[in-house]
Formats: sequence, C-alpha cells, structure tokens
Amino acid sequence: MHGDAAGPPLRSGPEPHGTASGARRPPGRTGNEVDRVSTATSPARPASAAKAKQTAAGAPGARPAADPAPGPDVDPAPGALRALWARPAARKLLVLAAAAAVLVPPAAMAWGSGAWPHALTVDLTGPLGRANDWIIDNRDHHWLFLYFFGHISGAIIGAVHAVYTVLLALGWAGVTAGAGLLAWRVAGVRVAATTLASFAVCGLLGMWVPTMRTLALMIVAVAASVAVGALLGLAAGLSERMFRALRPVLDTMQALPAFAYLMPVVLVFGIGVAPAVLATVVYAAPPMARLTALGLRATDKGVLEAVESLGATSRQRLLTVRLPLARRELLLGVNQAIMMALSMAVIASVIGADGLGDRVYQALSTVDVGSALAAGIPIVLLAIVLDRTTAGMASPRRLWAGAPRGGTGGHKLTTARTRRATVRFATLAAVAAAALVTGDKPWPGDWTVAIAAPVNDAKDWIVDHLYTGLPGIGGTADLAGHYTGWVLDPLRDGLQGLPWWGALLLVAALAWLIGTWRTALTAVLALAAIGVLGRWDVSMDTLSQVLAAVAVTLVLGFAVAVPAARSPRVDRLLRPVLDVFQTMPQFVYLIPVVALFGIGRAPAAAAAVVYALPAVVRITSQGLRQVNPGAMESARSLGATSGQQLRHVQFPLARPELLLAVNQAVVLVLSVVIIGGLVGGGALGYEVVFGLAQGDLATGLVAGAAIVCLGLMLDRVTQPTKAEKKGAGA
Amino acid sequence: MSAAAAGAATDAPVFSVRNLWKVFGPHAERVPGGELAELGPEALREEAGCTVAVRDVSFDVRQGEVFVVMGLSGSGKSTLVRCLTRLIEPTSGTIAIDGEDVCGMDKGALRELRRHRAAMVFQHFGLLPHRTVLDNVAYGLEIQGVGKAERREKAREMVAKVGLAGLEDRRPGQLSGGQQQRVGLARALAADPEVLLFDEPFSALDPLIRRDMQEEVDRLHREEGRTMVFITHDLAEALRIGDRIALMRDGRVVQCGTPEEIVGSPADDYVRDFVRDVPREQVLTVRRAMRPAAAGEADTGEALSPTTTVADAIGTVARTGTAARVVDGGRCIGVVDHRGLLGVVAGLDGDGKAAA
Repeated sequence: MHGDAAGPPLRSGPEPHGTASGARRPPGRTGNEVDRVSTATSPARPASAAKAKQTAAGAPGARPAADPAPGPDVDPAPGALRALWARPAARKLLVLAAAAAVLVPPAAMAWGSGAWPHALTVDLTGPLGRANDWIIDNRDHHWLFLYFFGHISGAIIGAVHAVYTVLLALGWAGVTAGAGLLAWRVAGVRVAATTLASFAVCGLLGMWVPTMRTLALMIVAVAASVAVGALLGLAAGLSERMFRALRPVLDTMQALPAFAYLMPVVLVFGIGVAPAVLATVVYAAPPMARLTALGLRATDKGVLEAVESLGATSRQRLLTVRLPLARRELLLGVNQAIMMALSMAVIASVIGADGLGDRVYQALSTVDVGSALAAGIPIVLLAIVLDRTTAGMASPRRLWAGAPRGGTGGHKLTTARTRRATVRFATLAAVAAAALVTGDKPWPGDWTVAIAAPVNDAKDWIVDHLYTGLPGIGGTADLAGHYTGWVLDPLRDGLQGLPWWGALLLVAALAWLIGTWRTALTAVLALAAIGVLGRWDVSMDTLSQVLAAVAVTLVLGFAVAVPAARSPRVDRLLRPVLDVFQTMPQFVYLIPVVALFGIGRAPAAAAAVVYALPAVVRITSQGLRQVNPGAMESARSLGATSGQQLRHVQFPLARPELLLAVNQAVVLVLSVVIIGGLVGGGALGYEVVFGLAQGDLATGLVAGAAIVCLGLMLDRVTQPTKAEKKGAGA
Repeated sequence: MSAAAAGAATDAPVFSVRNLWKVFGPHAERVPGGELAELGPEALREEAGCTVAVRDVSFDVRQGEVFVVMGLSGSGKSTLVRCLTRLIEPTSGTIAIDGEDVCGMDKGALRELRRHRAAMVFQHFGLLPHRTVLDNVAYGLEIQGVGKAERREKAREMVAKVGLAGLEDRRPGQLSGGQQQRVGLARALAADPEVLLFDEPFSALDPLIRRDMQEEVDRLHREEGRTMVFITHDLAEALRIGDRIALMRDGRVVQCGTPEEIVGSPADDYVRDFVRDVPREQVLTVRRAMRPAAAGEADTGEALSPTTTVADAIGTVARTGTAARVVDGGRCIGVVDHRGLLGVVAGLDGDGKAAA
C-alpha cells in the first residue's frame, strides 16, 4: 500500500514487487521499492529546493554591498561572476576550485603528481598476515574459538546437515511434491506447476544432489537472516535513534559487492560451509531489516492515533496494528532475503559452499561451459521458483484475501475453505506416500539427460564460426578485443595516469554536484583510503572496467526505456523478460559470456552490462512514465513535439529516478565486474580469488577492503537522495 | 434540537479546561505566560522556532450538551481536542474530566480514560484495513480484554445501531466513505464512553452523505443524551448540531456561546465577518425580535415558544396577519410583529435588544 502510493503499480501480476523499479542489487532488487518511496514521494523537492537557493542567491546580487566577490571597478567581471555565483552548481565548483588552489600545490610539491604517492600508503599485508597466522595457530585451542566461534560454526554445520538429511529422506518425489504443494498454497496453481517442472528439470540435468545441498544451505541461511533482519528491523522500526544509526549502515551494506563479504568470514572461520552460511546471512539480512523497519515506520499515522485514542498499550499497538499493516513489507523482506541468499550461496562456493555454485565454479575454472550450464540452469530455476512463490505470498490479492466482494458471503467462504482444506489434505497424503515409496533415494540415475557434451560442441562451434571472421561485424572475439583495446585500455591508462589529487578533486566535484557535501566527503575519503591501502593502480583498473560498462549500460538502458515508457505494448513485451533477468543470481551471467567471448575483461564487462540492464530499464521507464500527467498534457497542449516533451518535461521531472538508475547501474556493474575476476577480469576481483586460492589471506583482505572503499565511493558519488533530508528535519 | 438538549444539560461540567496552551517547537514550555507569548505567530517562529497551536484556552463542556469547536484550518481546533485525552501532550494549563485532573494521570489511568470514558471519531476514520467491519468495531473492546463472544455481540449491536447491519464481514476498503465513518462511530460507541469526541468527522464526505451523518449524530444525541465535543470548520454544521459553539482563531477562543449568541451578537469583526452569510432568521429566535406587549396584545394572537426561530415566526405572522405572542411557561413575555421580525432579517436588531 505504501509503495503504490508513490505511483501506479507497474504490473498487476502475481508479484507485488512489480512496483519495484529495480534493486540495489541482485535479485535483491525489490528492496528498491521502498527505497523508491523515499526518493519518489518528493520528486518535486530537489527542484523547488534548488529554486529557493537560486532566489536566495539572487538576492545578494541585487544588493552589491552584500556580494563579496567582485570589486566595484571591474565592470563586466562582476556581472559574470555574480551570474555564476547565482547557480548553485557553479558556486560549489568555485568553492572547490578555491580549495584546490590552496591545497594542491603544496601536496603536489611534497608527493608528486603521479599515482597515489608511496609515502602515503600503509602496508597492511604484514600485520594481516600475522593475524591470520595467529588465528590458524590458535583455532584449535584458544578459548575464543573453542567457546564462541567454534559453537557458531558447529551449530551451522549441524543445522545444514540436518536439513540436508531431511531433504534426502523425503526423496526426490517427496521434495518435489512438497515444494509444489507449498507453492500452490501460497502462490497459486501456475507457480505450483512451475515449481514441479523446475524440480524435475533439476533432476533431469543430473543436478539433484547439488540442488539439495544448495537448498539445505539456503534454508538455514534464510531462516537465520530473516530472524536477524526482523529483529534489527523491529528495533529500527520502533526506535528513531536506532533507525538513524542503522540506516546508513544498511544502505552501505546493500551497495557493496558480494565478494567484499567473503574475506572477513574466511579470516575467522577458514574455508567451509559455516563461513559460507555466515557470509550469506550477513549479505541477506540487510534487506529484511530495512523492509521491516520501513514497514513498521510507514504505519498510517491516522490509524495509530485512532488506536491510541482507544487506549491500546504499545504492545497491543505493535501486535494488532503495526505488524499486521506491515505484513506486505515483511513478506517482501523475506522474498528479498531469499533472493539475496541464493545469490550469495552460489558465490560462496568460492569459500567452500558446496552445491550448484561449486559446480559452476569448478566448471568455469576449466572453461567447461557445458557443465557450467548444467549447474547454472538449476540455479536460475531455483531463483524463479523461490521468487515467484514468496512474491506470490506478498501479492495484495492474497494479503487480505478471503473477503467476499459483495454481500455477506460468509457461508460461501466457509464452504470454499473446507473444500480447499480437503484438497490440501489429499495432496499432503500423496506427498507422504511419494516420500515413503521413494524415500531416501536421490533422483534415479537413468532419468538424466547429459547436456554438457552437446553444449560444449555448440560452444566449439561458436569458437570456430562466431569468434572471428564474420563478414561485416567481425566476430565476438574481435568485438571483445576491440572493446578491450580501444575502450578499456585507454580508459585504464587515463585513470592511472591521472594525478592522484586530480582524481580526488574529480570525485569531490561529481559527488558534490549530485549530492551534498557529506556524500562528497565520504566519497573522497573512500578513494583516499584506497590509495592508503596501496591498491591505487589495481583499483583504477577495476574503475575503468566499471565506468566503461556503466556507460554502455546507460546508453542501452535509456535506448530501451524511452520507447518502453512511451508504448504500453513495448512495455508488456519487455516486462516478463525483465522479471526473469532480475531474479537471476549474478554468478549465472558469467556462463554465457564465457561461451561467447572467452576469457578476459570484455566478457566480465558483458556480464555486468547484461546484469545491470534490467534494473536500469525498469527504473528509467517507470520514472519517465510516472511524470505528472498534468505537466505532460500542458506541454502537449502547447504543441511540444515528443522530443521536446522528453527533453523539457520528462527528463527534468524524472531526474530523481534517472539518478537512481545511474546509481543502480554503478552498484550492479561493480558487483559483477568484481566477480569477473573469476573469468579473467583481473584487478581487485582477481586479487580476492587469488588470495583465497593461494591461502594468502592478507592480499585478499586488502583487496576486499579496497572493494569496499570503491563501492562506497561509487555509491556516494551517484547518490542523489540525501539532499532533501535537511529541509525536512528542520 | 438545541433547545431540547440545552434543557437536558446540567451544570456540572464533564470537561473543564483552564488556560490551556499547546506550543510546538523547542523549549515550548517557556512560551506560555512569558514574554514570548506576546509575539505574533511569525515573530515567534523567527524568535524561538515555536508555533502556538492552542493559546490560553478555557471552557467547560456541560453534561449532555453538544459542544462545537469551530475555526478555519490551522486555528488549533484539532490540536485542542487531542489535548483533551492527551493524544497530544498539552504544554501548560489544566484539564479536568468530572473534576479529575487529566494532566496528572499516569499511563494506566490515562489508558483507562481513553478506554472507557472518552472515545474519538476521526476525520480519516483510522480503521484497520486488515480487519472486518465487525472486528474493527470490536477492537476497542478487544484491547480492553473483553472475551470474543461478548465483544462480537456488542459490536454487532453497534453496527446495527449505525445502520450497517449486513455489512459485518466487509473490509473497510470495500465501504464508501460514509459507511466507513459509520464504522468509526460504531467503534467509538462500542465502549459506551461518557463523552464522544469528533474531529472533523464529516469533512471528508460528500455533502449529501454529510447531511445524513449529521442527522445520524443528532439522532444518537437525542436518543442517548451523550456528551459530545465536535470539531468542525463548517459553520453550517456547527450551527446545526451545536448547543454551544467555541469559535477559534489562531489558537485562541474568540467567542464561546450558543449559536444565537454567535450569530446575533458577534464578539468582534472576525466573528461578524464569519457569520455574515448565515441566514439569521433560521438561527435567531423570537426573543430577539419581540417587543414588550402593549395593552391587550398579551391575550390575543398565536402563541409561540421563546425558542421558535424567526423564520418560523414569520410563517405564523404572515399566515395570521397579526402579531404573535411569545409565551414562556404560560406567561406572555412579549409579542412579535412584521416590523420586529423583518428587523432581525435585515440585521437592524441592536445587541441591546437581546437582553430585553
């Protein structure tokens, strides 16, 4: 109800998160629905604020005495300067230029103008390496591990094993029927059919056991992250102070690439299932916490007041009003947590989670596209099933269902209920029977279809026929080569050749123009931290990949979004495609691009573009479509062409959404570019993988910290929303 | 109806409000009674960052009457009614319900007050969208700990009383605005409170529905004689249902009196301007139009009660063609003729006459 208030729902399908425009990232994208509420409810705000600033700044211009800048004897200059000063953007740049003029020369003198000066770096590999050695030495007998981390780790392993045992005991028929029944119960018959088919395909591909392993890990991780997230969200939803403290943390966590979470848990827990589950929980809990808090805080003030006027205690208010009214957000939070957890559970194969992700990881490391696809398809199916089922649960139609449309209908309701109960009972019995008959049996071996070999043949054919020498367009390898040689290399060299203070200034200017001085400061500090960590050059390499991929994403995204916003037919065609693409974990995207482009930076970029594109298209087209129809109508009535409408009305009015799209593009692209380290993307992602593979945790940890800083910097540079807060707080 | 209810009202006040202040902003407590209180709203906001919503308000609500607080938006009337049960904490002043100090109540006592003695009806209904009509009405009883069967029975009774029988199983989202407000009313009635507080209950409704609802409230008041505090920005509504009206402006009560007093003797230019378009003959009574009976007049002509409106008296006088007597308790207290009645319609009656 709260999301819809911001604008008409985009799709009326079973998934309520259709109103979500995209996500801070992975399947996690739905988190943005509520994000969007905060940005979208006050779209007029930044514009009017800017206007107010302009008029305020214009006033001193009228009274020369109050104008500090120009001298009275210079005639044309004061006018120009004053005009400049009147524009807030120009004013910020002037201030920045003044600061730079003072600070840069001594800094450049002292430390030169090349890459980040060596004098300003701190080498952390030594201490980190020693810390790692200490942990390895003490893991078996120090009390911290014996009585704290050891218990956590043991409990997690025990839980995962127990769930896995139950899944095995149910047998393939029991699991499939049970999942189908559950989907039917919460999301309807179509989703149930999808579920049955998906599990069957998992079995047919010979991936039954890995699927069950992933599922067991998922179930434990999701249960934990929902519990943790709900508790945090409850605290933040009820206490203003807690909310203020948690919000920036959650925002930042949602903007960081998944890889950044792996190293710290490995440092403490080593490689294995326990750290994989923990990383997954840490990664998946924020959206649950965030949505819970927002749901609780969004309770209709009128209802709360009415309930208070009836004399409800605060406990009664929470249990009978706030929680029930936040039910949709809570269910969306569960949906988000599940999707994030799946995404992470797959990536966590790098630190020892077995299951589907591990199969993909192993296959990719030997460029065995066929095997990777055989494991990748079940991941995609699992994602779709989980998303549809949980999203169906949260759909408004099912939320307060059971209310008759007309008349009293109480009688009809009860008969329908009895009938449904009977059906359910019968199905349950069927499941039990299926489990008994096939129990303790994995999917029968002779019912599988080996697709690895044919897929690899197809891939060889691609290598032979598409990689190069196609008339006119060259080939995919040629394309990748051109992209690397003509775009990535010059960009990387340019960034690495940029004087370090120049990079800092550039980031400060961009972040300040788009956001506030706070975001600018955070961005500059994050970038400086990268330098201090001694990862300047490598990070510039990663940055160049991100920037190039973001540029491609935005061009393609806007090119698709504008027609989609215009024509309902294009939108209808696009919607199911976007839905599927938005649910897939980032890891899966690496498989097809390796088949098409081989290994290197170009396939990583391609995966990043494909991954980020749906969110960008969705946010942009939704933003353009939500533009005030009154403004559009008046523009049309004045005879504006469609191009003029777009330039003068739609783009300016949809500015917050467009900036959000850029922000999402940056965050999503970064997360995949980092994972691209697995397929030859190099740079920071590779250092993490290398650190894990070689047991050189210090290198990995430093690279992980640099990833965090880079993510923070990129998120803050493109963060448009915070500016409104001040006015509201006063 | 004013007359009948005014007769029922006794002198013991239900609510007694004295020197009530509500100031929003930092260090609000220093405003009442201090130098800052003398400042205008703009200056105060500049100076202290505070906004005064309720400014030194005192009034009594008598047993069984409909007390209307009216004013334009931003005049502080909604804040005032919320202060009565401390949904908004007053900055200073005293509030007493049946002589009991409301401001001094602890949480538990306050909850008891809200549960049993004063129930509120809201402009935007404040219904729980996930519950049926019946469960919404029963909600107040539910949080009091009343058992399911009992509270449902009571709720069913209330739903029938407000004319929604048959719609018990609907959700608020499936009802019209007027029906939703009836649910709100039934919910307030279910706890059988001593006082009903209405915060602009009909402002969000269509004019026709609003009229229905006003009649509904009127009927409930006549049947049960419950004390009501009614907030509105609609003068016609205030005059129609109010026994007494407090007119608010910028947080202050500028005039408090019966509809007749407000319309007939405006306290200042603001009130005069406010009531200018009111059809005076429908509000003012023959008391304002009568003159002392001349010899012989005291025994002839139609007899009218002193609470007859001028409009009705015009009908009578026009029909009979002669002056009519105003009779109170069998005694003739004056007569009304063409001249006096037309004088009221034309606004020629001076304030001095009202005392006569």
